[in-house]
Amino acid sequence: MSIIWSMTWKELLRKRVALLTALMTIVFLIAFWFIASTLGNEVRDYGLSESDPMFAIEMFARGMMILSLGFFFGAFVVAFLAIFSASSVISGEAELGVMQALMPRPMPRWKWYVGRWLGYVSFGMLYALMLFAAILIIGDIHAGVPRDPMTLVVAYLLFASVVPLLVTLSMLGSTFFSGIGNGVFMTMLYGGGWLGGMIEKLSSQFVSLQEGRAGIGGDSLSNISGLLSLAMPADGLQRMMLDRLFNISGITELVGDNTGGMLMLFGVGAAPAPAFLWYALLYTLVAFGIGAWRFQRKDL
Amino acid sequence: MNAIHTEALTKRYSNGRGCSDVHISVREGEAFGFLGPNGAGKSTFVKMLVGLIFPTEGRASLFGEPAGTVAARRMLGYLPELYRYQEWLTGEEVVRLHAKLVGLGRDETNRRVPELLERVGIGLRSRDRVKNYSKGMQQRLGLACALVGDPRILFLDEPSSAMDPIGRSEVRQLLHELKAQGKTIFLNSHLMEDVESLCDRVALLNNGTVLQQGLVSDVLQQRPVWKLRIGGFAPALLDWLRVETGLELRVVAAESDGSAVLEAQLESEEQAGWLHSLLIGQGATLYESTKSRTKLEEWFVTELAGKSHRGEKL
Repeated sequence: MSIIWSMTWKELLRKRVALLTALMTIVFLIAFWFIASTLGNEVRDYGLSESDPMFAIEMFARGMMILSLGFFFGAFVVAFLAIFSASSVISGEAELGVMQALMPRPMPRWKWYVGRWLGYVSFGMLYALMLFAAILIIGDIHAGVPRDPMTLVVAYLLFASVVPLLVTLSMLGSTFFSGIGNGVFMTMLYGGGWLGGMIEKLSSQFVSLQEGRAGIGGDSLSNISGLLSLAMPADGLQRMMLDRLFNISGITELVGDNTGGMLMLFGVGAAPAPAFLWYALLYTLVAFGIGAWRFQRKDL
Repeated sequence: MNAIHTEALTKRYSNGRGCSDVHISVREGEAFGFLGPNGAGKSTFVKMLVGLIFPTEGRASLFGEPAGTVAARRMLGYLPELYRYQEWLTGEEVVRLHAKLVGLGRDETNRRVPELLERVGIGLRSRDRVKNYSKGMQQRLGLACALVGDPRILFLDEPSSAMDPIGRSEVRQLLHELKAQGKTIFLNSHLMEDVESLCDRVALLNNGTVLQQGLVSDVLQQRPVWKLRIGGFAPALLDWLRVETGLELRVVAAESDGSAVLEAQLESEEQAGWLHSLLIGQGATLYESTKSRTKLEEWFVTELAGKSHRGEKL
């Protein structure tokens, strides 16, 4: 299993997946730096003293806005890296003939499956860690960010949790579809989950769209967004991450939404209940089990 | 103990291809040729034996272990027909990867990998990425990978189809060495000369079923054909010889100067010597007498003549 794990890392490095990802991340971070700088400096132009509590509140609100923006795009990058790195791992390699020589080796198929999974997940989570840290550092330089270590660890784990989720689904999809087909399927599924999250955010912003507003479609929207989030829990996990990172529920209760609605698009909306995390974990485990089972029986 | 044993091994695909009810036994140390036209189901059969695909019905075992299990796979080396190695690795890294997968230790790997790369003829280019290898080079690399675990049984699916004549000759020599070492070899090939020179037994597959199998010597047991080039030939001589010997004789070529080539199916060299003496006794001059055996290729074509093939036409 460790042989396949290290082979997967070597593959990602040799195929320049890591290099291209790093280059594009640098471009993204440079752009993000300027955005964060612009948003952060705006507060300083208000003329508030740095000792003024309002300054601290404003800076923290700007920090939330900056980080929400950063993690909004960061989540996409991490998701697509996870999806496309694993989208052709089974059907694609079987079509190319790579498996023809490897699989007759004396290694149980499940070990190959787990080794590949560990390779993609460890790579994706390491990348997520670096991106998470970079976004936080930039946010901290230009505004304020939460500094509680436990909060940050939990937020990182939630941010990176989409990696095992999406790699697992992508590998499962690869037991059904060709490499390209699976990539398209996974992107559509991820897009569906993202749409569900957007509906949640809109619903939380506009009272008329909220559940229970009969005659205006609030219930239907709630059902659709719920189903989409269940089909693809990635966006829900990201919203949970932002909620934990900023303790948005608590702050909004305390001071109201002071971000001018910016959090609506890039932020949390209504954060999923803690049970959603268990659902996502179960979802991942079931998908992993089905994928490994299918691969075990697949004609290559 | 049989190295390979299959009972009614069957794989059915939705398109009607695959193979059905294949019974084969290959003894340890034997070289077995698996022949058949394109699309006959040869690769499907091998894939079931090495654990790449699962049978619809029937059973197969390698040295008594059910085919496809880790225990069975521990004993085999496999060179697939349609394959690709990891293009982002070097040739040496690919063989080292396979060495790890078969459980070779570090010292054994360090000793065996360069030796094998040298043996299959890619020693000088072993540090090049596989993406820069020609198809023939990849086939050499495939052989090194198949051999790295020192397997008891080798499954070779068209092992030299992409190689030049020198490469083919080297592979043929290597296979003879392996056979001499007692390895069991299961050879899928369209190169009849290789099969004929290496294999002890053959099976002929068509449309997924075995048409014939047996010893190569039995398959080629037909009486050898002798060709006699003579001088002083006359049609009356041929008639006389037919009556005198009772043999089937025919004229292959006859020239106006009296020279001719006769062809006869003879059972032994003694019979040939007798025919020679009769010809000389009748005043003919014997310039040359040669014996030629039926080639496996002729057998292959003859056996499949008039039969439908689901692959390409012969």
